[in-house]
Amino acid sequence: MTQIQTPGDKPVIELKNVNKHYGSLHVLRDISLSVGKGEVVVVIGPSGSGKSTLCRTINRLETIDSGEILIDGVPLPQEGRELAQLRAQIGMVFQSFNLFSHMTVLDNMTLAPTGVLKLPKKQAREEAMQLLERVGVADQAHKLPAQLSGGQQQRAAIARALAMHPKAMLFDEPTSALDPEMIGEVLNVMTGLAQDGMTMVIVTHEMNFARRVSDRVVFMDGGSIVEQDAPEAFFAHPKSQRAADFLQSIRAPEKL
Amino acid sequence: MSAPSIRERLYESPGPKTRRRIAAFTGVALILLGLLLFLIVRQFALQGQLQPRYWDFFLKGSTWRYLGAGLLSTLKAALTAAVIAIALGFLMMRGKLRRFRPVRWLCAALVEFTRGVPTLLLIYFFFLVIPRMGITIGAFWRITLPCAISASGIIAEAFRAGVNAVPVGQTEAGLSLGLSNLRVFYQIVFPQAIRFVIPSLISELVIVLKDTTFAYVVSYADLMQNAKVLITSHDSLVSVYLVVAVIYILINYGLNKLSDRMARGTKKPAEAGQAKRRPA
Repeated sequence: MTQIQTPGDKPVIELKNVNKHYGSLHVLRDISLSVGKGEVVVVIGPSGSGKSTLCRTINRLETIDSGEILIDGVPLPQEGRELAQLRAQIGMVFQSFNLFSHMTVLDNMTLAPTGVLKLPKKQAREEAMQLLERVGVADQAHKLPAQLSGGQQQRAAIARALAMHPKAMLFDEPTSALDPEMIGEVLNVMTGLAQDGMTMVIVTHEMNFARRVSDRVVFMDGGSIVEQDAPEAFFAHPKSQRAADFLQSIRAPEKL
Repeated sequence: MSAPSIRERLYESPGPKTRRRIAAFTGVALILLGLLLFLIVRQFALQGQLQPRYWDFFLKGSTWRYLGAGLLSTLKAALTAAVIAIALGFLMMRGKLRRFRPVRWLCAALVEFTRGVPTLLLIYFFFLVIPRMGITIGAFWRITLPCAISASGIIAEAFRAGVNAVPVGQTEAGLSLGLSNLRVFYQIVFPQAIRFVIPSLISELVIVLKDTTFAYVVSYADLMQNAKVLITSHDSLVSVYLVVAVIYILINYGLNKLSDRMARGTKKPAEAGQAKRRPA
């Protein structure tokens, strides 16, 4: 599944020499990364390595200190209507789901399509129901988020992002807040998306998923991208000692 | 899955020994309370306060009509003051959350000022100072505006606390869908903040209602003012004050019950999994 980018094929997401500090902490060090159309990039690394921050800079939920972020070759707008329009084109899925807790699942789905894309209410509802059907929570459409299980909430959150017809999707540790028995259902939805050709950047700790679904694995540590490679190569023969150590540390418990 | 009561949050459930002790203390407390009540009533009786002439005018319709008119004026002033206070409080809260510093500072100063100045001082300002500036306003506004202003700062802070209590993830999710800051605030954050705010809003309403008893300063004929007139005409201080106190208590009790109902009635947001977090 490794995708070789043909020259002239513009990447959907491109980061060039991105740096960010939290006070004296250098959380992103000279990050350069490009994600092609339809490519699924998984970002892994120990906690505190900056992978979530990286993910959140792409739609400017985190600002950057220097460097450049391009979406479809155009620099990421800094504010205002342009930024909102750009965010509308990039779906984001959060660790804590973040469904709007005072609205039903269906209202969660239609808020942005009617408010931002100006879809007629009826059409927005129909599309929403189709998407909820697709992620398997259509029967929960009229409930409040708190009445759903974590897995259902996260699937609904994915559907909510899809309702904006995004050209790329960002996943910030989408299964980290889930009970183990619910992780599979969310990963299945994401696998389906990947197979349908969605461009995806996924921050995750699910190594089997990364190996199975991704086109490329990006390994981060200490705010830098240490190495990136096709999943088979990365998991079998990590080039850097740090990646090897990381893989060793997460595999260790399984050997007990 | 009902929320645990405050008692359940604070204490473990009592065992048999504790239950017996609680029962014993309850019994003793009830007896003491009854005794206290008896002593109070006896003292009043000994002083002749229970004589019919202090009470029989409460059988006349005119007495109640007069008190009723006062009550209506009180409610009108309190409600008007509350509406103005909520509007001012909302504006100050928006101002304090602005990124533009001068607006933020101005609103912060206003909040501190309105919270810090006693209501009575504001009433004197509207009653004595404003007329000297050549502006004439009626008794109704002389009581309503000061009450509103003195409540507005506290209400602004209550709104702000409510907004702060909404998890940041809700804002991020709204922004990530391409919603404007304004939409995120009015469609996502504020509706959820209201749920946290209602109880303190209604407590503040009770304070506004009580503040309107300062109406005597500006000779606005509220419940308290009319009570005073009754006292003079019937020479019956204890009975009238007792009845008026009961009326105030009933209204404020009703308001507090309403607050409980509304706080329970508004939908509970998902608290689980919505905690604020720092990105890794």
